[in-house]
Amino acid sequence: MINMTLYRREIKGSIKLMIIFCAVIAMYVSIIISMYDPEMTKTLVSFIEVMPELMASVGMKPNASSLLGFMVSYLYGFILLVFPMVFCILRGNSLIAKYVEKGSMVSLLAAPIKRRTVAFTQMAVLVSDIFFLIFYTTIVELLSIAGNSELKVVELIMLNIGLLCLHLFIGGICFLFSCICSDVKYSIAFGAGIPTFMYIVQMLANVGGKAEKLKYFTFFTLFTPDNIIEGDGSAIVGMMMLLVGAIVLYILGIAIFDKKDLYI
Amino acid sequence: MGVILIENLVRDYGGGKGVFDVSFQVKRGEAFGFLGPNGAGKTTTIRHLMGFLKAKSGKCSIDGFDCWKESDKIQAKLGYIPGEISFFDDMSGTEFLKFITKYRKLGADNYQRDLLERFDFNPSGKIKKMSKGMKQKLSIVAAFMHNPDILILDEPTSGLDPLMQSRFVDLVAEEKKRGKTILMSSHIFEEVERTCDQIGIIQKGKMVVVDSTAALRERHIRRYTVTLDNKASAESFARDFDGICNGLEVTVKTKQSLEEIFMDYYGGKKYD
Repeated sequence: MINMTLYRREIKGSIKLMIIFCAVIAMYVSIIISMYDPEMTKTLVSFIEVMPELMASVGMKPNASSLLGFMVSYLYGFILLVFPMVFCILRGNSLIAKYVEKGSMVSLLAAPIKRRTVAFTQMAVLVSDIFFLIFYTTIVELLSIAGNSELKVVELIMLNIGLLCLHLFIGGICFLFSCICSDVKYSIAFGAGIPTFMYIVQMLANVGGKAEKLKYFTFFTLFTPDNIIEGDGSAIVGMMMLLVGAIVLYILGIAIFDKKDLYI
Repeated sequence: MGVILIENLVRDYGGGKGVFDVSFQVKRGEAFGFLGPNGAGKTTTIRHLMGFLKAKSGKCSIDGFDCWKESDKIQAKLGYIPGEISFFDDMSGTEFLKFITKYRKLGADNYQRDLLERFDFNPSGKIKKMSKGMKQKLSIVAAFMHNPDILILDEPTSGLDPLMQSRFVDLVAEEKKRGKTILMSSHIFEEVERTCDQIGIIQKGKMVVVDSTAALRERHIRRYTVTLDNKASAESFARDFDGICNGLEVTVKTKQSLEEIFMDYYGGKKYD
């Protein structure tokens, strides 16, 4: 089902990109958390009052009075959605589509290894990368808020499990199109285009008013950080839907790659 | 029955491109030369054998296994040199060979070192910086090192210098002696003539001719009968031109080179 030699090679191939994203995430997370100051949030709230639409579009709402609420507003609306998403797009594309386009997929298939084993291994690499990235984010967050009296470990971990489900789903989209498309340009166009478009829809829906209905057209709605930290049951349902969706996308990707014609 | 078996294979790309009703077989221990001009359908046929393409109609099998459904079983004893070579650019040749050894789960008793010596090849450089010929050598080593029973070689000598080409032809001849089944596509008539028992020529997706190398040569012998003035000149004529003297008549034969034969087929003309 999995070829460890290929898995090790691809994990090694992830390291460079992973280091860059880890550095960016560490920087943003630690800076934003260090900015938390119950007094200063009043200033931010005043910003939100002045330009509610703009702030709301990137997930910043005036409930940022607690530490976790602050983090949800300033990390889980943009930074922790977009950066891992870009990682999924880059990695997902290069795991299958790039090898097919370049023809180096020949080296992997001209061997007694089933196609679905190759695809499953590449999927396992992407999933491992996403797990690591979110796990790492959690560690950075915990280190940044260590010692703060408002530290709520369980809620934070639940929040990041939700984030994990979301990114597994995004990774699923990227992987699926990497499997479908034999050209990198199409794989990127769909793998990056769909999540980005969905995110923009989410931004519009966040603004509220008539545009709020748009939330039914984007999967980002299934990830509701506010509800997760409140322990709302609907948040869990959303997480489960993302997870199930992710599994379906990965299975579909592997099945399509297993059956498709390869001009390599 | 043939080890490599292709029956009525069709894949229509539209616009007259593709392969149409291609059938041939390669028996165990036989070398089959697969010839045709660019775009004739050689690589398409080979992609079907490798399990990269699913046959739209018709059937391909190797050693009794279906090329599409059971390609992993076939690949265990198959060596393949692709027509277009692309490795992982980030690796050095040594790393690539190590990767393939582990990926295929080969033991340390493989033929990698013998092959590197035979082709006078040091794979330690980055693949990205290798010349076409060096990549070709790397591809040869990767295809032969697990001592496969069946070899599918898509224009295997392209990029090699004449010395290496000749070493490659020797390698193929040795493998054939050891009972390997070989399918080799090529543009170089000489190497096909030297190594292959059977030759198939494909043109515009259709097999034009499949015959033994000897029969193909025989078929293209032309005989001329010349009548001379007197017996003495007839005898000396027969001696000079290796003919058969019969009174005043001398029969001489000329043989087209295999290359000329191919040119005739490539050009669309048929001799029969």
